[in-house]
Amino acid sequence: MTLTQQALREHAALRILAARPRLAARHDLTSHEGLLAAQRDITAEDPTEGTLAVVVLRSFDLARWTRDTCAFALGIDPRQAASWRAGFTRTVFLAGDPAHLCERFSFAHVAPDLSAAWTAPGSAARSAALRRLLKLFNAPAALPARPDVVVDVPGVPRLADRPRVRRALYIATAGCTIAEALVHLNHVLVEAVLDGLIAPGDQLSLRQVPRVIGTPARLAGVRVIADDHDPNRLRAAAGLTEEIPLA
Amino acid sequence: MTTLSPEAPASRVRPAERHRVLLAPITVTPSKPLTPSHLKGLLWTDVMYRATRPLAEVTYRYSHTTYHATEQTLGFWEFLDRTHGDVDYSGLTVEQIGELYVAFRAADRAPAEALRPYDDAAERGWVHPASARVLQLWSGQYAALGLHDPGLLRHQPPGLTLEAMLSRLTALGMCLDQRDVGGPVYLDLTRHGLPLRQLVTPDGRPNYLCCALRELLPLAPDFDEVVLLYDGELDPDYQQLARVLAAQGPRVRRVSLGRVPVDGQIRSARHGGWRDLHAGPLLENALAEHDAAAVCLGMRLYFIAVLGPGQQQSFRADLLRQTLRRAARLLEAAPQHEVSPLAEHLARHRKDQLYVDPYRLTSGLLGRRRAAPALDLLATVFL
Repeated sequence: MTLTQQALREHAALRILAARPRLAARHDLTSHEGLLAAQRDITAEDPTEGTLAVVVLRSFDLARWTRDTCAFALGIDPRQAASWRAGFTRTVFLAGDPAHLCERFSFAHVAPDLSAAWTAPGSAARSAALRRLLKLFNAPAALPARPDVVVDVPGVPRLADRPRVRRALYIATAGCTIAEALVHLNHVLVEAVLDGLIAPGDQLSLRQVPRVIGTPARLAGVRVIADDHDPNRLRAAAGLTEEIPLA
Repeated sequence: MTTLSPEAPASRVRPAERHRVLLAPITVTPSKPLTPSHLKGLLWTDVMYRATRPLAEVTYRYSHTTYHATEQTLGFWEFLDRTHGDVDYSGLTVEQIGELYVAFRAADRAPAEALRPYDDAAERGWVHPASARVLQLWSGQYAALGLHDPGLLRHQPPGLTLEAMLSRLTALGMCLDQRDVGGPVYLDLTRHGLPLRQLVTPDGRPNYLCCALRELLPLAPDFDEVVLLYDGELDPDYQQLARVLAAQGPRVRRVSLGRVPVDGQIRSARHGGWRDLHAGPLLENALAEHDAAAVCLGMRLYFIAVLGPGQQQSFRADLLRQTLRRAARLLEAAPQHEVSPLAEHLARHRKDQLYVDPYRLTSGLLGRRRAAPALDLLATVFL
């Protein structure tokens, strides 16, 4: 599939509409200028207000982190999910060792190998003490090259609701640091879980490509960002495909 | 009056019972004149060292080699070579080299890669001629001030390489190493509620805390007490350092000293503007009016007893002159020996710690109702 500029604008508009219908209504989201204006409104909002989640990372492995991000998002209760969604699933990534923090702080999800931990989405004040103790996750290296890998989404499949599916999750690696990849993939993953696109028992095929272009399947979720090389263009930083049924 | 010699009281304590104390003050980057704040720290440590020695086995660890690896030293050396080329530093004064350091601090930083050859050479014992010149000039000033020389000109490498130190920290569960994602290495005491503290930058440069750990982690287990003397502004770092060292066994004491304001302002030496307020001119003026012994005692009385551990009082040249005169009078009036044995006298200036508190001891000399201090005490500790 080819991601045209119009398709990218539609993905970006749908995300704003899903999160903040009233803000979306104030702008013409079919135009590049309208999207930029909406983005400016969002950026101007007080960062101390709104809901955010904190991810504490001791070490990073893409497949392991993807699996745990899904596990975390699947455990979020609907009320928290709604306010987090309204805050564009804002997430702060911090360097820290969950093994040293579990006694003092309560986490909604902790990776089984203690490589990462997630706080439930909540007000900035609720995570202020944790954020004071730790530092922003500083990961300027590029994603290490790796073959495609399949991640099983944890949890018991609810087969009565819908069959298990496989989707491909693409991340654009050109010019992308690990810290940036985390941000892009996190939005795509958690929003797909909150929207029911990813469910327990599903499979995700992780694919690192220089650019998310010409994907064989249509994309159901796209992380749309401004193109560094041309501010008048958009590009996909990450994308989740439509489902591929599993036997 | 007793007839005990100064050595006698110490010998009353059997060697087997003597505790081991490590004094580890923060070092001054060899790139600038010694300001009143520096002098205060050096004199304070010297009195602590010499007053504690009759009571315990004291090691005074002060290695410039250890801290050459910091960015402020290596960066200075790289800056000098890049911007000034081959200069004969042997003829420069410490002020002139200090001016070059001020220029370095105001300039843009070189990339970490540019410092690597300097780091490699420093690890093998090389010292840039500019810093070698500063250390040589400081050595003369140390001698004039009667300061014990802890090895200013010696190559004293830390006991652990960077990697070995980080492995040791990791084994203690105190290291968060994120170099595999291009990130920094942190000292991780979050288990104790202390914030993450960076030790190595993402581009691989260690900071002074990292250097201190390379030096003190392997030394700490050999001592009963480790005393860290440092500038009060570094208190959060030293709390962390103390926590790591205490895990090695010794009791760790933090002695935080306030800087000496000049005209009400605390300025870092990196900004220059030291005028004639540094070791060279201060010593020259003092020695023009007094003999060496009065200068040694007077400087200690002023920088320890008069200024105290805090930083409320600005430097006052008139008060220093007055204190030097007081020192000369004390020396003239000094009897040969203290009334009580020297070790007993010194031991009174401790609380529950092994080291002798320089402030209590030195301010005690100025007490109005106190008998004039005796030469055994003065010669052992203050001259």
